[in-house]
Amino acid sequence: MIQVKQVDHTFLIGKKGKEKKVPVLKGLSFEVKQGEIVAIVGKSGSGKSTLLHTIAGFMSPEQGSITVNGQETANLNETERAAFRLNNFGFIFQNFQLMPGLTAIENVELPLKLKGISPKQRKASVQQMMDKVGLTEVGDHYPNELSGGQQQRVSIARALITNPPILFADEPTGSLDSETEQDILLLIQNLNQTLGVTFVMITHDAEVASIAHRTFKMHDGELVKGDVR
Amino acid sequence: MLFKDQVDFVRQHIKKNKLRVFMTILAATMGCAFLIVLASIGFGIQDTMRNEILQDQAITEVEVYPKENEELNLEEIKSVPYIGAIVQRTSMDVMTSFHLDDRSISGNLQLTDMKEEEQSNLKLSEGRLPQNNSEIVVGYHFAQNLWTDTERAKVEEGVEEADLPKGYEKSIIGKKVSLSLQSYDADTTFPEQWHFTVVGVVDNPAKDWIVDQSILMDKSWLPELTGVYEANAEQIPEKFTYATTKIYTSSLEHVKSVTKDLKDMGYNVYSVSEQLEQIDVFFMAFKIGLIFVGTIAILISSIGIFNTMTMAVTERTREIGVMKAIGASPKLIQRLFLMESAWIGIIGTVLAVIISYAVSFLANWLLPMVVGAALGEDGLQDLSITFSLIPWQLVVLASAISIGVAMISGWRPARKATKIDVIQALRQEL
Ligand SMILES: Nc1ncnc2c1ncn2[C@@H]1O[C@H](COP(=O)(O)OP(=O)(O)O)[C@@H](O)[C@H]1O
Ligand SMILES: [Mg+2]
Repeated sequence: MIQVKQVDHTFLIGKKGKEKKVPVLKGLSFEVKQGEIVAIVGKSGSGKSTLLHTIAGFMSPEQGSITVNGQETANLNETERAAFRLNNFGFIFQNFQLMPGLTAIENVELPLKLKGISPKQRKASVQQMMDKVGLTEVGDHYPNELSGGQQQRVSIARALITNPPILFADEPTGSLDSETEQDILLLIQNLNQTLGVTFVMITHDAEVASIAHRTFKMHDGELVKGDVR
Repeated sequence: MLFKDQVDFVRQHIKKNKLRVFMTILAATMGCAFLIVLASIGFGIQDTMRNEILQDQAITEVEVYPKENEELNLEEIKSVPYIGAIVQRTSMDVMTSFHLDDRSISGNLQLTDMKEEEQSNLKLSEGRLPQNNSEIVVGYHFAQNLWTDTERAKVEEGVEEADLPKGYEKSIIGKKVSLSLQSYDADTTFPEQWHFTVVGVVDNPAKDWIVDQSILMDKSWLPELTGVYEANAEQIPEKFTYATTKIYTSSLEHVKSVTKDLKDMGYNVYSVSEQLEQIDVFFMAFKIGLIFVGTIAILISSIGIFNTMTMAVTERTREIGVMKAIGASPKLIQRLFLMESAWIGIIGTVLAVIISYAVSFLANWLLPMVVGAALGEDGLQDLSITFSLIPWQLVVLASAISIGVAMISGWRPARKATKIDVIQALRQEL
């Protein structure tokens, strides 16, 4: 499903002329299989987010190859990448990243709108998804009227509404209390089992990593330990 | 994304910033309305002047004069295509007195070819054209200026306009008038007298200030009249008859070609088309100038659109980043922002067109009164002056400029939106 081969990336930081090179990804290679929950753990600053951003196509790594569903992502231009994300990826962010001006239902509906699905079809599938993530009651609420856990459920529903084969989650429970965290993890597990969605999760939290089938540990841009289980 | 969803999306954003968008639209409206109203003055005055010209003279009329010391070659002129009639009127340098009972007038005798007059569609206010050479047609003011000697003496002393004698008030049609000639430098008239029957009166001249007391008489009288003049006058000038030649084309569209052909023959030509052309050239330059000034107003208002759109993009950086992350293409994002600036431009333009028509209507209604009051005259309303005219071409042009400028000023902010970096945008705090 996802192959990462020899990926290198270096950031330049500091003032112009006095830049310092900061290697963030150092020859990373690993694979994610269909239907897996994979957790990438590591200390803050170890390069987890940067790795995810390269796989998602938000940025291109300096070196190495990333293929998703057999497609070399480096070969796609901006427009093609956007379409590729729309069709293949869902995203769950630490701080939810919902549209403040849209209700829960409208937020979930957004990717379907981007795909050009008709309002009628949208309505049915959004309602179904809202039930699935347990938000039947609060569909008309705006994000600032929802609790953190509810917001993350909206964000999960939005990520899943287009039935993408792969979901990326960057610290999905980072902003939630431990009880809510548990609910969200159960939901992720449940969706993985019922829908067969592949999850790539980033976390620095061992609790979160516990639901993963496999765990990679990152340290200073390198995988120090693969396949914890 | 379906077009309807795109429109919804744009509408939602506009709703969120009603006041800011409203102010921007207001600026766009003012700019565009300024352009239309300003240019409409050019169109209005041009229209007024054109109408004035077209009203004042027969529009198919072409005046033609020979070059100095030369004669017109009528045969040659006849060969020009699309000529309907050639009216050559000859006048003599002599006082012509017409008498009716105890009334008389010193008229402006014109000897002409009645057939050609008929073909030129000479308009009469009453009666008909002469059918033989003892019949004449008189000018519109002929009868009212037929005064008795006492009336004339009174007028020469000076009277108010309202107290002017009314002249011959009965119908002049069918009346017999007598003609006698007199040199300008002699005190008495020549002994010869002729009698004519008035059968028609020429139509009121278009210009209010023209007093038409001419007499149209068949040209067969010319040899006899000049003979009498030569027999009686003490001094005979070398030239005492003058001919003016007017050519009437078969329709307005041929005036231009006939004018050109006659010019090519080496004559001096004067026609409405010439005059209209000069006016059109002048007003074309005038209108371009006005539109240019108006466009500056639109450009100023476009700064507002640029600011509004730039702010909108900056404010929504995080949202745009999320949209891109979940799969919105840069093209779509650019289009959504261009639609927003286009919407501002379109609403602004529509309002501007409505306001411009209202302003134009009010100006045409109020200005004659205001100007009339200021000048202390009240006849101005009747002059039918158009101060402001908005033809559809002006609306189309102004709309194109206004909406075009709105989209151009929205272009850079929209490009900026597409360039937003997803990672940076997602990092922004809520
Ligand atoms: N755009 C950037 N420019 C420069 N340095 C960056 C940039 N993004 C991340 N970094 C650096 O790369 C390293 C890894 O960051 P990140 O991938 O966010 O780590 P993690 O998600 O594991 O906390 C950090 O040292 C961070 O400062
Ligand atoms: Mg991170």
